Amino acid sequence: MKRLFVIPAILVVLSFVLVFQSCDEDLPTYFQFEAYEFSSLDEDGGTWTPNLLTSSSQIGIPAPTDASSAEFIAEVAEIKTLSSQLTGEQQKAVDYWGGNGLIRWNEIARELAAKYNLTPAPNADGSYPAPDPANPSTYPLFPFAHPPYAARAFAYWSAAQYDALITTWYYKYQFNRPSPFNADGTITPHLPINDLPGYPSEGAVIASVSKDILTALFPLEKDFIAEKADEHQHSLKWAGINVTSDIVAGDSLGRAVGKVFRMRATSDGMKFAQTPRPVSDSIRDAAQDRFGWHWVNMESPVRPVGITPFYSKVKLWHLPNVEVVRPVGPPAPGSAEFQIDADELNDVLDNLTNEQRKIANLWADGLGTYTPPGHWNKFASESIVKNKYNPLRAARVFAYLNMAMQDAGIACWDAKYYFHYPRPIQAMPGFKTILGTPNFPSYTSGHSMFSAAGAEVLSYIFPDDAATFEKYSQEAALSRLYGGIHYRFDIEDGNESGAAVGQYAINRMAIDGGE
Amino acid sequence: MKNALRICTFVIGTFFSLSSIKAQTPTDALMMDKGQICLAALYTNDTWDEYWEGTLKRTNGNIGTLTRQTIMPMFALGITDRINVIAALPWVKTEASGGQMRGSSGFQDIGLWVKATALEKTLGTGVFTIHTALGMSLPTSNYLEDYVPFSIGLGCPDFSIRGTLQYRMDMGLYVRGNAAYMIRGNAKIERDYYYTTHSVYSFDVDMPNAMSYGATLGWWLLGNTLQVEATYDGLNTFGGFDIRRQEAGFPSNKMEFTRVGAFLHYYLPFVPGLGIIAQGNQVLTGRNIGMSTALTAGISYQFGLWNKHEMETPSN
Repeated sequence: MKRLFVIPAILVVLSFVLVFQSCDEDLPTYFQFEAYEFSSLDEDGGTWTPNLLTSSSQIGIPAPTDASSAEFIAEVAEIKTLSSQLTGEQQKAVDYWGGNGLIRWNEIARELAAKYNLTPAPNADGSYPAPDPANPSTYPLFPFAHPPYAARAFAYWSAAQYDALITTWYYKYQFNRPSPFNADGTITPHLPINDLPGYPSEGAVIASVSKDILTALFPLEKDFIAEKADEHQHSLKWAGINVTSDIVAGDSLGRAVGKVFRMRATSDGMKFAQTPRPVSDSIRDAAQDRFGWHWVNMESPVRPVGITPFYSKVKLWHLPNVEVVRPVGPPAPGSAEFQIDADELNDVLDNLTNEQRKIANLWADGLGTYTPPGHWNKFASESIVKNKYNPLRAARVFAYLNMAMQDAGIACWDAKYYFHYPRPIQAMPGFKTILGTPNFPSYTSGHSMFSAAGAEVLSYIFPDDAATFEKYSQEAALSRLYGGIHYRFDIEDGNESGAAVGQYAINRMAIDGGE
Repeated sequence: MKNALRICTFVIGTFFSLSSIKAQTPTDALMMDKGQICLAALYTNDTWDEYWEGTLKRTNGNIGTLTRQTIMPMFALGITDRINVIAALPWVKTEASGGQMRGSSGFQDIGLWVKATALEKTLGTGVFTIHTALGMSLPTSNYLEDYVPFSIGLGCPDFSIRGTLQYRMDMGLYVRGNAAYMIRGNAKIERDYYYTTHSVYSFDVDMPNAMSYGATLGWWLLGNTLQVEATYDGLNTFGGFDIRRQEAGFPSNKMEFTRVGAFLHYYLPFVPGLGIIAQGNQVLTGRNIGMSTALTAGISYQFGLWNKHEMETPSN
């Protein structure tokens, strides 16, 4: 009798084990898409106007060997051999980097932002340490990739890519040296083919710029980034897409462009954005004198300085100055106008629907995530793939999106520290939230400004999806109300200001030659 | 001898992460006779003001003391003398004394177990038993598990198999050991991107499987109306990742703890079938969990549901 029971029990166990293990498949760690044939080649891309370089020929590269030269024929033969016998690892690398390494590097940049988006823990005495760029590996690790830092990182990475690829296109069509598979019809590349001239390699440029910029922004990731760049560049040869000299030229071009952007970064004002306490206190006191209120951090122990009070002074890309989009200002705490929105907050949080909670969490993009600008880069990646953009056109999307979002961030931080407005948990005694309240003033909402600027730019580029971007932007902004960390006026004024910032990027984009 | 086995007890194992209790599991060696049912209701007050961030023990001013209260109705039913079905559905409420974050409350996971006597053998002056329990738990409400430390559960379905070995001497003293393996399905959260030790683009969270283990020294006293136990137990996940410095906890964190406890179950002499339960547990060591102190009080009531033979006074 006993044994009779044991057998079915074992069968039940095994069947459950199988059921559970079968749902245990690996979750996606990157955007999975098939390499695609580009919808256009943008042969005139070399005539487009770069943002920081003075012209598409500012950076020089050596002329390649002739397509009929013995050197080039030998290089092509090398690729024929390499690409005809891929190991499993090499095939995996080719599939991963696919036809558009820009998407992968954008993901890597987002992942680094998420990894480094951790706020410093307090010391035992209740004070807080700060990351030190001179000693990045000493806790707290450098950088703290909060939204202003991440927005800037994405902007530099993508603006540099765009200028570098304009330059790349310029030389591709100046030298017109064929890709190996066009030079030798017996080579079968592992990726969709096109008629882009091979020299310099756009893939190598993308890897090189990424390595240069991201290493500067995330110095502790130097080895990880180098390994990725190395794999990316090798994969171009394994794929049969480029010869060695295409890659060497692309690599050096990428580094030269990276250097120009790093020069800008060293003097863009970011190093002064995280002000010392006396400066932070004086900013607070100025707001108190001006408006009769000021924001305070409510954490325990109190963080004495908010995140980057002087981000407002960081160099802008397309916005002429922050004042042109500075919002009208919030109602005084306690005023009738304030009370309407405070009452709404209380009501929403006390009766939060499942749908509202979902929206609050979906768009939270808080600590440990790639931040709201990262979220919009994800949408950009999806749209680029959907529209089968070539790397140059893809870089244009990332560049204007991210420059607009950094400008929006800078303008938002101006409003935040100019108006120095208390958060709901400060102005509404006893009020509790479902999202953590960030360490900077309330007005305007960063999510609103980043998202409105991002949606504006993406809607301009992808008009068919404008309604979707608009909906996302509204949701992202309202998510802060549902989370209990912003008043409606933070959101509405932020939306308006962010959309205005986006328009400046669009105005520039309209005349850069890439329409 | 057999009468003693008819007494219902609920040794509740409350396994929790930084965020949540999980898997109230029958770890005892007692069975209900056919047709007998035991109902119980337990209240647990669980607090911690220190937790392990990875392996670093710390406090957090924005949490202060975290209090987790649980009300758990449960029953055990004898399908046959050798096969019991047990079910429990906890309702949980969390709140923090510090910070400005809202706590949460709601029904957690419904747990269902089939428990069977696999072996019962007289050995010397006592009885050696082996029991196995197959269990399954499923989230019953859409509570948010990605809301550490306020989340009320881990949010994943799990399936467990447990083995319990006991040697009970005729004088009432017993020792018991048990171990379980828990296979966990994915949890579902409300964002489609998160970072663990790498990026994940999904609403799903791959939960690490886990094992739990425990050892108990117990004694039936006062003519088998009072059961006292001293317990030691623990849990380890297979995989999962550590919370980094000043990072929020996450459902799929690596989780470990060891814990000691005491348990009392007293059958009131004046009402047949009615018992009171008291239990205390203290976490000693841990990883990515709170250093919790839990106190439980409850009542149990046992009666014949369909096989209404006379209630026998527990005796030996």
